[in-house]
Amino acid sequence: MGFLPFRSRNVTDGTPGSFRQVSRPGLSRVPPLALLAAMAVLALLVACSPQSNMSTWETFGPVARGQLHLFNVLLWVMVVVFVLVEGILLYAIIRYRRRPGQPLPHQTHGNMPLEIAWTIIPTILVLAVGGWSVATLFRLDQPPASAGKPLEVVVTGHQWWWEFEYPDADGAGKVISTANELRVPVNRPINITLHSDDVIHSFWVPKLAGKMDVIPTRSNKMWFQADATGTYYGQCAELCGVIHALMKFRVQVLTNAEYDTWVAGYGKAPQLSADALKGQAVFQGAGTCTVCHTASGVDNPAVVDGRVAGFNSGGAIAPGPNLTDLATRTSFAAGTVEPLNPDNLRKWINNPNDLKPSTHMAGRAKALYPDGSTKVTLSDVQVSDLVAYLMSLK
Amino acid sequence: MATTTGVLARPTSYSGVWSWLTTVDHKRIGVLYGATAFIFLLIAGLEAGVLRAQLARPNSTIVDGQTFNAMFTMHATTMIFMAIMPMSVAFFNFVVPLAIGARDVAFPRLNAFSYWVFLFGALLMHTSFLVGQIPDAGWFSYANLTSRTFSPEAGLDFWAIGLLVMGASSVAGALNFTVTIINMRAPGMSLWRMPVFIWMTLLTSILLVLAFPVITVGLIELTMDRNFGTNFFNTSAGGDPVLWQHLFWVFGHPEVYILILPAMGIVSEILPTFSKKPLFGYPVVIFSGIVIAIMGWAVWSHHMFTVGLGPVANSVFTITTMLIAVPTGVKIFNWIGTMWGGSLEFKTPMLFAIGFIALFIVGGLSGVSHAVSPSDFQQQDTYYIVAHIHYVLFGGSIFGIFAGIYYWFPKLTNRMLGEGLGKWHFWLMFIGMNITFFPMHFAGLDGMPRRIYTYPVGYGWEVYNLLSSLGYVLLFVGFVMFVHNIFHSLKKGQVAGHDPWDAPTLEWSISSPPPEYNFAEIPHVRGLDHYWIVKREARAAGQPVPGPEPHAAPGSVHMPSPSYWPLVTAFGVVWIGGGMLIDVGWDYIKFPISFVGGLIAFIGVVGWANEPASAPDAHHGGHEAGHGAAH
Repeated sequence: MGFLPFRSRNVTDGTPGSFRQVSRPGLSRVPPLALLAAMAVLALLVACSPQSNMSTWETFGPVARGQLHLFNVLLWVMVVVFVLVEGILLYAIIRYRRRPGQPLPHQTHGNMPLEIAWTIIPTILVLAVGGWSVATLFRLDQPPASAGKPLEVVVTGHQWWWEFEYPDADGAGKVISTANELRVPVNRPINITLHSDDVIHSFWVPKLAGKMDVIPTRSNKMWFQADATGTYYGQCAELCGVIHALMKFRVQVLTNAEYDTWVAGYGKAPQLSADALKGQAVFQGAGTCTVCHTASGVDNPAVVDGRVAGFNSGGAIAPGPNLTDLATRTSFAAGTVEPLNPDNLRKWINNPNDLKPSTHMAGRAKALYPDGSTKVTLSDVQVSDLVAYLMSLK
Repeated sequence: MATTTGVLARPTSYSGVWSWLTTVDHKRIGVLYGATAFIFLLIAGLEAGVLRAQLARPNSTIVDGQTFNAMFTMHATTMIFMAIMPMSVAFFNFVVPLAIGARDVAFPRLNAFSYWVFLFGALLMHTSFLVGQIPDAGWFSYANLTSRTFSPEAGLDFWAIGLLVMGASSVAGALNFTVTIINMRAPGMSLWRMPVFIWMTLLTSILLVLAFPVITVGLIELTMDRNFGTNFFNTSAGGDPVLWQHLFWVFGHPEVYILILPAMGIVSEILPTFSKKPLFGYPVVIFSGIVIAIMGWAVWSHHMFTVGLGPVANSVFTITTMLIAVPTGVKIFNWIGTMWGGSLEFKTPMLFAIGFIALFIVGGLSGVSHAVSPSDFQQQDTYYIVAHIHYVLFGGSIFGIFAGIYYWFPKLTNRMLGEGLGKWHFWLMFIGMNITFFPMHFAGLDGMPRRIYTYPVGYGWEVYNLLSSLGYVLLFVGFVMFVHNIFHSLKKGQVAGHDPWDAPTLEWSISSPPPEYNFAEIPHVRGLDHYWIVKREARAAGQPVPGPEPHAAPGSVHMPSPSYWPLVTAFGVVWIGGGMLIDVGWDYIKFPISFVGGLIAFIGVVGWANEPASAPDAHHGGHEAGHGAAH
């Protein structure tokens, strides 16, 4: 029947415009079906896909769950419409293929009742789904009052890392600033306010909630709540420059007790070994780490202009992650290096760009990485001391 | 004898390079558009190859983030502005005058001008490759990543100024086709007797004229911000990055329909021809197109659901976006209705047209799922959206365009494209397209963001990405076959004759390739599907089917003469833009250089205005070399 290259031996009688032909219907119908089968297999394969850190199918909170619920219903509508319409199309292809000697088919120009029907029915369908979508939209916009007092967190997007600030972490006014790992208590609504320090980013933890853009000059709001403890993966979802792909973060959902312990311990002067003390001297040296970073005992976070700020000397907003609780984190370099351990930190300090290309660190700590090099000038011993200091920040 | 206008002698040659540079013949300009757009299609396809190579495996280091960003930016920008749009314009050029029974477009020299401005603008943007400062902020180039602070290199200036130049081409071309369709139809061709493709061309042209000014405003503001210190989008001075998004998408969503309506028109021509049945519900298809063209203006913020416009705005755009699915669905039902009860012949154009329907259904359905804003909060900026846009733009627009190429190639060249190779091409594309883009749905729902140049092991994205990259190989082979088919068939293809498909529209009633003047005698159109009416009456009466009219005697049909002025004017226009991109370390040099471009354009316009459309002593009506648009 001639829609396959293998069977293109249809003989026309040579007259332009003629539609008489000789053809053998048969096997040629298999490939489209085979294709459908292949796609079905693929879909099955997908249904039992391996563990996925960012899957929107596995939800652990009311916001993500409400969004998935809506999508699941849409998915069924889509599958039904797909099978129906593609089925009718396939039927028409097979049923109405040209046969030898066939006369001119009946010349219909349309069928008004039919056309009115297939305009009205989809309209009703989309309006029904649309109404339900709007209801979901408003329902998920704010945490329900019954869920209790939300924890407020200010998220600031930077090229290319995440800053998390708690204006009131413990209900008694304790201010916390941390980076790339957001710690929150389980079963409590978390209100997120989104700022950007440079370009547009997008804050997204698929298993907890859909994304919200992080836009300079704006303070977008969103919320989520996690109903199970554990680690949830997040990633910037709006193109934000050369290493947009490496702007990740984690959300650590803790029990209330774990959360309280972390909050209470945050900012206490760390216990420093002799090596770590030498490392601290490197950390605080001119033109080294404190150009961007801060840690306990260097400066304390303070609220300036409604934002938690003032990490490094002079009270200016630090352009680098706050390291006060660094050693309690599971990853670093905006979630791209995992796990956080002395070995990885040593590699990172030796040449940060090996682990995270285009990161700003080497370019800013000019005393450690002079002349545009990304290779550190410290001795191995100094690096070890620095790592010892960093590993004691908890 | 050449007519002189000021400094330049009127071009007189109808063959050779100069005849192409100075042509005002809509068929030749169509060929220029088509060939240029196809080359850019291949370039953009190779750029996609870089993306697929990099993403085939996790933690890949074939390219770095910088190169990857440049490749996806230029892939999309080139596909949209330099491949699909001009490919559609190639069809407008070649088909519209033939199918409405006109001898040329309303403004033949403006038509040439549109082409040259498009070509120069596209080349200007691609100069960025030569200086190694390639645009890299995405085809949507969201502010404020595009500011000098965050994109200090000149890539985005090439992008913005290149698009501004090409925008001039689009608006000029669209005005031309609007006027042509409204004013130049053959007697008897009322609006309700216009082929659907002509209707879709008209709607697309109106959308273009209305949409491009919006992006032009945005692009000028961006250029001003980057070069002259204005603060439209400069956040550190209180500028608003979201303003850019509104400007971009108020243009960008009608643009989506600018990309798809021509393909819908092409498919609406092909399905009846190969079903031997008129289009089912012609008025409904037209009205659906009109409704889409109007509602297309009321949905732009569905690209911005995650911007934080609030639930009220998101609700409104959710509902309007879902409603626009209705006229789109209606078209699909009418196409299937056309095939229903027909006598379907699966020639390559028909295969691509059916492929269009089958794939567009998938893209349309996934589109509904992110029209729903709560669902879109998860899907926005993921590979799910990448899958969607490729089902509508590749499965839709590009399949429609290929259908059109196979369909009208015989009219253009009097040669058939090879059927065997065509079917290979179709199946490679159809299967390759599904293997490339279907897994992207799953990658996106498993949380893979768009525009990431690398991803680690353990997120469950490996299989999908590998499949997508393998599918690319099939598409690549398909394109190679197509190119081979074109060159092979140009020389050795079966001779087509004037009406190889027994088609219903006017262009098939004249010889292939059409003479320069198209119709020696302007036909009187007797109804929708005019040529079917004529042929069937003849057959019923036992008379021979009327063939193409004999060629007119040389000089008996007066056609517009070729002209240098469109080329000169276009050169001046692009020089204005190029001057702004000159970087010799001293910014003020830009102004005098651009001014020279303005002067050239001004001279071009004056020469143009003073030149009569037809040289009085030209004998080109039946000029032998003027016949073959393809030769």
